[in-house]
Amino acid sequence: MPSFADALRVLNDMKDSGVVEDYAVAGAMAMVFWAEPIPTYDLDVLVFLSSDQATIVSLAPLYDWAAGRGYATQAEHVIIEGVPVQFLPAHNSLAEEAIDRAVTLEYEGVPVRVVRPEYLVGLYLEPGARTLKRRERAAALMESSALDRAVLDELLKRFKLEH
Amino acid sequence: MVSPQRRRPRASPRLLDALREGKAALRRQREKLDLHEKVQIVLEMQRICLPLIARRRRLAEWERPWAITP
Repeated sequence: MPSFADALRVLNDMKDSGVVEDYAVAGAMAMVFWAEPIPTYDLDVLVFLSSDQATIVSLAPLYDWAAGRGYATQAEHVIIEGVPVQFLPAHNSLAEEAIDRAVTLEYEGVPVRVVRPEYLVGLYLEPGARTLKRRERAAALMESSALDRAVLDELLKRFKLEH
Repeated sequence: MVSPQRRRPRASPRLLDALREGKAALRRQREKLDLHEKVQIVLEMQRICLPLIARRRRLAEWERPWAITP
């Protein structure tokens, strides 16, 4: 049976092979790195797609790469080593910065890029994506000892976000 | 007829503070768990929650407990 570390290794392979320029784990699994474990059923990964791609963002090369490795795709999720992974191309400057400033942590000896808690809060508070669940997650992260309040305040101000 | 209001014992601010602090301490403790242990908990939650969600709605194809070890 594969392990969670195996799925993370594949993310690094994707970066090494140039399928994505960079990536950072986001969403609930990123929260698991910073705060309490919460229920989740997929792994969200923010990505910069390869810059040689056309202006119109397409995940097709990524899905092709996954298919070539024998990973099935189900409803926008690629099942990587038993983990349904949703790749989210960076959609604005907040998401871009979240990838740029992600930190490299280690899971069972495997390096993994993870969105910092302040950026997770910012992404949860984006106007188009504010649901009760996302606001609750932002609130939980704001209580986390891993969060730097000054960094968060600056970020919320700069991106005009409210909590 | 409105019955006279019964005076019930209430939690003092001090007790409430202690209870809140207890909850925060528990949260801090869970935050500090080893990552491997946290992923193990996520996998256990999937096994518990998904059958409950399935009672309310049809699960998407990918909404399955992850067939992995932590």
